[in-house]
Amino acid sequence: MSLMSEVGQKAFDLGVPIAVHLDVTYRCNERCVHCYLDHDDHGEMTTSEIKGVLDQLAEAGVFFLTFSGGEVFLRRDFFELVEHARRLMFNVKIKTNAVMIHEAEARRLRELGIDTIQISVYSHRAEVHDAITKLPHSFERTINAIRFLREQGLRVTIANVLMTANSSDHAGVQKLAAELDVHYTLDPTITPMMDGDTSVLSLRIPGEELTEVFHNPALVGNQEEFCAPPKPPSEQDLEGYSCSAGHSFCYISPYGDVFPCVQFPLPTGNIRQQKFLDIWNHSPEMKEVRSIQAKDLTTCSSCSHVSSCTRCPGLAYMEGSMRGPSTADCEKSFYRTGVPTANMLQQGLSKPRSTSGNTVPLIQIRPLQIQPIEVQPVEIPA
Amino acid sequence: MPERCTYIARSTAIAARALAGEMMVMNSTDSTFFTLNEVATAIFQAADGRTPLRDIVRDRICEQFDVDIEQAQTDAEQFVAELSGHGILLVSSQPLSSDSTRETP
Amino acid sequence: MAGSQKTACVEIGGIPIALSTSDDRFLDLLRHRYEGFLSASPPEFELEFDLTPAGSVSDDDVRVRRNDGDDEWIIERGDFHARWDPRTGRGRVRQNANPYSLDSVLRILHSLILAERGGFLLHAASAICNGRAYLFSGVSGAGKTTMTRLAPPDITLLTDEISYVRPGGGGYSAFGTPFAGELARAGENCTAPVSALFFLEQGPENRVDVLPCAEAVRRLMRNMLFFAADPGLVERLFATACDFVDTVPIRLLTFYPDASVWDVVRNFAPDFNRNIQGVPEHA
Repeated sequence: MSLMSEVGQKAFDLGVPIAVHLDVTYRCNERCVHCYLDHDDHGEMTTSEIKGVLDQLAEAGVFFLTFSGGEVFLRRDFFELVEHARRLMFNVKIKTNAVMIHEAEARRLRELGIDTIQISVYSHRAEVHDAITKLPHSFERTINAIRFLREQGLRVTIANVLMTANSSDHAGVQKLAAELDVHYTLDPTITPMMDGDTSVLSLRIPGEELTEVFHNPALVGNQEEFCAPPKPPSEQDLEGYSCSAGHSFCYISPYGDVFPCVQFPLPTGNIRQQKFLDIWNHSPEMKEVRSIQAKDLTTCSSCSHVSSCTRCPGLAYMEGSMRGPSTADCEKSFYRTGVPTANMLQQGLSKPRSTSGNTVPLIQIRPLQIQPIEVQPVEIPA
Repeated sequence: MPERCTYIARSTAIAARALAGEMMVMNSTDSTFFTLNEVATAIFQAADGRTPLRDIVRDRICEQFDVDIEQAQTDAEQFVAELSGHGILLVSSQPLSSDSTRETP
Repeated sequence: MAGSQKTACVEIGGIPIALSTSDDRFLDLLRHRYEGFLSASPPEFELEFDLTPAGSVSDDDVRVRRNDGDDEWIIERGDFHARWDPRTGRGRVRQNANPYSLDSVLRILHSLILAERGGFLLHAASAICNGRAYLFSGVSGAGKTTMTRLAPPDITLLTDEISYVRPGGGGYSAFGTPFAGELARAGENCTAPVSALFFLEQGPENRVDVLPCAEAVRRLMRNMLFFAADPGLVERLFATACDFVDTVPIRLLTFYPDASVWDVVRNFAPDFNRNIQGVPEHA
């Protein structure tokens, strides 16, 4: 076990929120075809509110802080926020489309000691990338920005979200990443991530193509191990918890709403009304998420995949129950190993229902409390 | 002859946070990740660039952890050398101010 | 028409309009100019561009008219000539390949579409603060650009020049526009419900005053963009202005040009949601 995973486990066991994903805006300068986000400003936290949140997060023990959106650089106070975060000694990761990063911004990010900048690149072909983002020349601007960042010696990860329009481009993007000397990652819902950090996007490409992706060693590493049939679960597996959502990780929206994860739209409280630690420690919803063990799962506890499945409790929640199955993960487990899941068998399916290239809508976490304008009746003098 | 003074400051490239008494430290330039034990954490937290190392050892280490001053000084120097080798601590014979605006994690 | 037509769909104020041309360079120009406002929505309207050889941008007054008994609008200025039929939603523009003519044609078209839908374009800067939109209008030099320049970084700027207003959600909503003023920066493609309209005046200190209804309507009409001397349209805009004044707080904002004026905006809590005069005008 690496030191990093040991620390992660310790935080998990102690219930310390070691990693937080903070969206500072939902506004965006790209209009990606697969993105269902509403890009308006419904009353984002102000500069001083976000600084206050960062102070509270540092106090709560948060170490890994991801700034994301929307497009973070649309906030004109973004550098001020990052400076504040770095003064508080967070390990800062930024997710961006990078089109607003030029030489000066890259230099500032290096000075601020940013850990990683994760940038979405959809294709190695400009016309395919631009057709997805709907921003002319965005490919050129994004790639130029990556060069500026690399010139500063910053660590960059290209995140390649696959959908039907670009499903055959992953090899090209991988090659591009190698040329630019940056890391490459597939949509994290396909590549399991240690820290429970999940992308805002969840999408499906057709099952047959998913099989191809999962059996491509260039994408999944040791293919034989990755695609091995599931081992029967041990007692320890059944007493295990799923992911870090609500245990050592949570998500905060631009409006201050706190959720167990980016993909888990279960409201647990608002940081504008309560202290972060009060929500984290005492919210009944957080406690409920934290209490679920593998043996408590309605369908999955009897599934042969239970110990190896990437079952996302947030997606399950969106399907109806946080203790139920998440169909997208059932499909992944099936296409990875060829072994049907309990959820499929229960429905009498020997293979998943055809999902020819559909995209699952992006989760939209809207502000939970839009303050209505106080309207007081006016007395008209007679 | 006066003893040579060593000043230590935390690098601006690092991230750090205490987890159950231990300090997690990560250097963003090369992604090296450390955890520091209680004694090392105390030295790291006191690394303000202005307090000489021997004062840190005397006031923070010997008093808090009840150790012999010479042994503590030797251990501290070794620890400081190791962390400065990883770019976590800056070491100088003059006071350093680079870290003055940063909070203690 | 030579060459194949290429289209970019530009969506301002939630109204997608397909702009098509056979000229690749012009297509690139308009995609650049309206970046952030390009959309994948099915277009409601279509404009086809025929490019003429380069000429100068004209300072002439624009003429927007329709022939008797005809639905089709004819929109003309020295540098462009456009026809647009609201029944079919299609139009044709002849202009040279410059962005200013393009902006003008689009603004006029939007003003015509909006008028039918109870909305309007206004000479005003607008911005979102705490999820609500605020409009800042006034004559040139009153401080529209100053207001946007002084805006704290956590304010979302919709435009420093032309505000886009449509009815919706029981009130009015403001939308960002790509039409830039002195900031030479397009607004953000965002929308929010309108909380107030301020008419700007610069002064020695910040203060907010209620405007009498009639004065509010008068000032609003004076700052609305409308081009057609069409009686039906003017009547429609007047009705819209009255409804807007009846629905949205209108204030006179005298301000000293420093950042403190934004505290006034942030703290602006309308005492009531209508512009009712304390004393009837005839009294």
